[in-house]
Amino acid sequence: MKKTNRQTVLMTIPSELNHTALIAMAVRGICAMTTLTSIDVNRLELCVVELMNNAIEHAYRAEPNHSVEIHISLDTSAIDITVSDWGIAMDHDQLNNTRQLVLNQNDPAVLLSEGRGLAIVKKLMDKVRYTSKEGKNSFFMRKRIKERTE
Amino acid sequence: MAFEISTQGKFTVVHIDEVRFDASQVDAFKTFMFEHIEGGATELVIDLSMIRFMDSSGLGVLVSVLKKMDGNGSLVLAGAQAAIQDLFSLTAMDRLFSIVDSVDQATAG
Repeated sequence: MKKTNRQTVLMTIPSELNHTALIAMAVRGICAMTTLTSIDVNRLELCVVELMNNAIEHAYRAEPNHSVEIHISLDTSAIDITVSDWGIAMDHDQLNNTRQLVLNQNDPAVLLSEGRGLAIVKKLMDKVRYTSKEGKNSFFMRKRIKERTE
Repeated sequence: MAFEISTQGKFTVVHIDEVRFDASQVDAFKTFMFEHIEGGATELVIDLSMIRFMDSSGLGVLVSVLKKMDGNGSLVLAGAQAAIQDLFSLTAMDRLFSIVDSVDQATAG
């Protein structure tokens, strides 16, 4: 059996938007260890920020003094990121019913100023999963990594 | 101040002097822009060239500005870096906004 060398890190930020940049920078640093392209790294940074924004603005209704937990797990085949909160759980249909990221000039939703974050994450990641268990809400996402060729 | 205004001919150019334009910035930017639109600015250029990272909240506030203008005048986005262009493309917002390479290009017409 092939041995995997999985590395993990667990970080926590307060539920305030100005802290998300620290995690974004950490994710960029971790991605620098991988074969991900600069476009993929930018997109992964975008997705992790969207999930933290979602936890702060929706699960915690922008209230400070709560925690947002970010767990990152990396091996040569994938980077997995889970963003967790202990706030209001997302409706399970919400992830399935995210808006289509297609411009339809006749659709009034085109001019909505919010609601694109989860749709972006779904579009860019290889796997997403949302769970809510015993008060802890976790959004998992996976981005596959091209293995290095010797 | 993270946002500055200059005038180039008939154009009001808004410079966003931030590397990150995310959810923590958008309320201040929305207030800033709405004040200028209510003050009579109609030919707007937003200089995005300093921004390395934008999230969907940043995108959303630009949509709010466009809605606030309500079809009066014009709004041009200038100088978007690669990651920002990618976000506009992913969300099909590159078809909603007028986007050019530089402020000079936006104000040349």
